[in-house]
Formats: sequence, C-alpha cells, structure tokens
Amino acid sequence: MNLKPLPTHISRSGGCTLTGALSVTTQVRDAASIIHGPKGCAHHNFSLFHATLIDNDQAVIPDLVSSALDESDIVFGGEDALARSIRSVCGRDVPAVFVLSTCIAATIGDDVEAVCGRDWPVPVIPIPTAGFLGGTFQDGVNNALIALADLAEHSQTSPRVNIIGEKNLEYEVEENYAEIARLLTLLGIPVGIRFVHGLSLDDIPALGAAQLNILRDPSLVPVGEHLRKRFGTPFIPSFPTGLSDTLAFMNSVAGACRVDAKRALGTEQALQAEILADFSDIGAAQGVFCGPVMDPEISRAAQEAADALHIRVSGNKEARQLPVHPVVGTSGVRRMLHRWRRAIHA
Amino acid sequence: MSMKQIALYGKGGIGKSTTSANLSAALSGMGLDILQIGCDPKRDSTRMLMHGTFIPTVMDLVRERGDAGLSLKDIEFRGYNGVRCVEAGGPEPGVGCAGRGIIATFQMLEKFGALKGDVILYDVLGDVVCGGFAMPMREGYAQEIYLVTSGELMSLYAANNICKAIKRLASRVKSKCSLAGVICNGRGQQKEEELVAEFARRVNSRLVAFIPRDRVVQLAELNRKTVIEYEPASGQAERYRTLATRVMENTSKTIPTPLEIDELETLAYAYI
Repeated sequence: MNLKPLPTHISRSGGCTLTGALSVTTQVRDAASIIHGPKGCAHHNFSLFHATLIDNDQAVIPDLVSSALDESDIVFGGEDALARSIRSVCGRDVPAVFVLSTCIAATIGDDVEAVCGRDWPVPVIPIPTAGFLGGTFQDGVNNALIALADLAEHSQTSPRVNIIGEKNLEYEVEENYAEIARLLTLLGIPVGIRFVHGLSLDDIPALGAAQLNILRDPSLVPVGEHLRKRFGTPFIPSFPTGLSDTLAFMNSVAGACRVDAKRALGTEQALQAEILADFSDIGAAQGVFCGPVMDPEISRAAQEAADALHIRVSGNKEARQLPVHPVVGTSGVRRMLHRWRRAIHA
Repeated sequence: MSMKQIALYGKGGIGKSTTSANLSAALSGMGLDILQIGCDPKRDSTRMLMHGTFIPTVMDLVRERGDAGLSLKDIEFRGYNGVRCVEAGGPEPGVGCAGRGIIATFQMLEKFGALKGDVILYDVLGDVVCGGFAMPMREGYAQEIYLVTSGELMSLYAANNICKAIKRLASRVKSKCSLAGVICNGRGQQKEEELVAEFARRVNSRLVAFIPRDRVVQLAELNRKTVIEYEPASGQAERYRTLATRVMENTSKTIPTPLEIDELETLAYAYI
C-alpha cells in the first residue's frame, strides 16, 4: 500500500511514471510503445515528446499507440483491448513492442504481464508504469531501462564505455553527451551505446559488452546496480558537475578502464585555465545565484567557477542575477559563464 | 404522491433479492408503478418477477451494441403484475470494475428517463466494497435505505458496516439518503426477532418487519415465481404485503449510529 504523499512532497520533479518510461522507450526508434489506458494518456505524452524532439532539432514522430480504454473496458476489464492493440502493432514491421500500463489499468487489475506473455511474433515487453503507486518520473525511466536491459545478452567485454540513462527530455541532452564523448576521446576510450538515446533494437545486445557504464546521474544507481549484477559491468554514478569534478571524473574513468589519464588531464586543465582567462572580464563582479534547480552539487560547481574568477556571490537580491543551470563537464561551465557575462554586462 | 426511492442492502446470500422481488410484487398489488433495479453482476435480482428468465443486463447491452443504439425498451422488462425490471449486470468474476458498472448503469437509466414511477427499488449486492456500490445511496438515487439481516453475527456485522456507509454519505451536504429501517429475514434462530429489533434500536433505527423462514419461499423459487404470485393466500405472502404497507407508510428516516465490533458481539451473545 502506498501512503498518500504529504502536500510538501508534491513537486514537479516527482512527475508521471508513464512519461518517464516513455522518455526511454520512444528512443528505441524502430520499436513501438503501447500505452494501455485511456487515449488521453497517449495524447499528452505524444505532444510532449513531439515538441521536445522538435526543440532538439529532431523531426521524429514517436511511435505511440493507445489501447484507448473506454468506460466499457473499465467495467469489463481492459485485457481484450490490450490484446487487440498488440495484435494490430505486431501486424506492422516492428522488431519489438513495449507495453506501458496506466493508473486506471492497474486499479482495475488488468494482468498486463499475462497478456504480454502470450505467443506474439515479436518480443512484447511489459513495463510497470502506474503512477498512483507512488512512483516518480525517474522510477518510470529506471523501470524502462531495466526492462530493456533484459533484451541484452552477456557477451565478451569490449573496451567501450556505455552512457546510461541520458535525460532525453532535457534541452542540452546532445551537448551533454558530446561533452562526455569528448572527455572519453581525450582519454582514448571508445564510446559504446547510448542506453537509451536514438537506438535501434539491434544496438541493445551491445549493452552487456562494455567495460564501464557511465550513469547520467545518481538517481540511476538502481539501474547501474542491475547492469552490474547482470553483466558484471562496473559503473560511475554521474556525469561530472563543474571544473574540479570533471577532472575527478576523468580520473575515475581512467582508473576503471586502466588507462593512464596523465596526458588527458593535463590537456583538460589547460583548457579550463584558458576558459577562465577568457572570462577574466567578469572577474571581481558581484552577483547572486538564481535558477530553477538549486541542487547542492550544482551550487558547488557554480561557487567553484565564481571563486576561480573572484566573483563575489552575495545573498543580496539586488545584485546581478547569475543564472545557475545543471552544468555537465568543462563545456557546461563555459556555457554558464557565457550566461553570467550576459547578465553582468546587461 | 411523490416517488419513493428505496434500496435494500445486506450481506450476500441473506435474501435481499427474494425480499426485494416479493416486496415489488406486493407493492404492485397495491396498484403502484414499480421499478426494481438489480445492482449486482450476478443479475438474478428480478428473476422471480420474470418467471425464471435472466433478462439482458444494461452492461451487456452496452458492451455488445454501444450505448448509442440503446433505448429504454432494450433494458427495461415488464415482469409479474407489470413490475418494471432492470438488471445492471457487470463483468465476469475476477476482471474489470463492477462498481463502475453500477455508476454507468445509473447514468444510462437517467438518460433514458427510466427512473420514474411510484416506487424505485434498488437491490444492491452484499457489501459496499467500493464507491461504485454506494452509488445508489448517492446523488439522490435511493433515499430510504433498508438493511436486510438475519440474527447471525456475520449478517449483523455486514448490516453494521452498511450503517457506516450511510452515516458517511448522510453527512455530505447535498445528501438525501438515510436509514429507513431494518428487515429481519429469519434463519430460524431463537429470539432472532428480538435480537434484530435490539440491533435496529442500537443503530438508531427500528425493525420494520420480521419475515420468518418458510418452506413456501423455496417452493415458489423452484416454480420460478415470487411467493406473492405462487401462493398469494399463504401467511408468508401476507407478511410481504405487510412489509409493503409498512414501507409505504414509513416516514422514519434516521442517520445511523454504527456499533463497535465488541458491542455487536456482546449484543449477539445476549440473545444466543
């Protein structure tokens, strides 16, 4: 039984479990996702993904199908409606189907797993996503990643490093990936698959072959643990936040992959020094941090950059507002400093 | 005369449908226009009024034909002495949501203008397991609730639980539902009538009728008839007619005071 959350626990960062899972499954480009519920649950998610993908310069139509439960299905049970939807999707040329449940389907007790377990021509993978059970957007992401991981086999380890659980709905998803790929390249380590971003189903078996998994952030640790148990792959729990954390991250990756990081670290330190020199014009300014997310890690990274430039950060609300956003790697800090420069010179 | 809207609630198997069908038959004998609505997926509430026929249920018809093609004549059937019969129906055991089926049926009946006549009698399944089965008590559908119980502890326990539901719903602002009385459907226990009468008093109500156990009820059922139709001169038929008269004359409406479980057990002990 899930207890009613206190009103203070209701925040937008909680989110909908279904949407979280869809943010993963819709990135398997050739597979279809069936949302077993009323058609509205598919509609608003479709709109969200379509709009987000367009924002990220991808004109992709997510392959979402709704079992379109109506009142009669609720009264009599929705399993037949789900079976009809699966049959219809299997009639198309898809290599796999994901089935995501909704609040109402779980409330009336539809046995989604049993319907998915019938003899279908392609893999039909159920993902538990009923949001009222207390799960968050992140739980949906994790459930989907774990379900997809079961499509991969244990295989011989290659020197590659996988990227796990990118935030597909964040605006900077490509920049953040590019930054991690840059750091890996600097270390001479090849990038494996982006699990899951812009994959096809055939890419997934490579999941088990990496020598290291890099998680997007620590909320994915349950996924990292699952992959470690299943494939024996160690993981690093987060993308780096800020300048010194980027160097520490490179060290951890190099250690896990048994490569010498010395030269790469020297190059990165030189780059960081160059960037700070570029922004010397905003040094000695005064400002106050502002932004939508005040995570301690992000605040720490912002403070570190401010200190390096001798910017005095006060609690004075009258001071220049310095926007603080989640920053990944050295490039993330550079983008933040550009925003600070605009604010200070405004 | 204003329309009377009554509902019979009680433990499963306690004789609600038998009591309802005989009550409807007796009321129709008073020259009244009666609508009996079975609110149970088992759909056998009106069977004796329909001479053994299981009429099509509203939910089955909606599923097969959709609600656009349905009209009142598809869902309402005339049984013994013109009593109008409707069965809500619902899903197969173990799937779907029967409570939502009850809500959907009521909306359908309202749309078709079926909720009219002198008396509407809702025969509701055993326990008020979820909001859907409390629907007859809500939105002004059933305004007078009768509890059907024997003197057995589990039956009184179920009746007491229904008192909790009535109390809860009666406290709502626009609520029109209240407890109208307790009907004792006897199991042949000693001092059963006294026990149920005392229970009724304790929950702030009163015993409206005591219907003793009688072989003629089983005989009538085997002949697919109500007692009123099968053996109108019997003492049992007279008891149902008395119940019908008391229901029509009854102006007692109370908000029940449900008992704690140990009070209920102490009460049952006192009469054993």
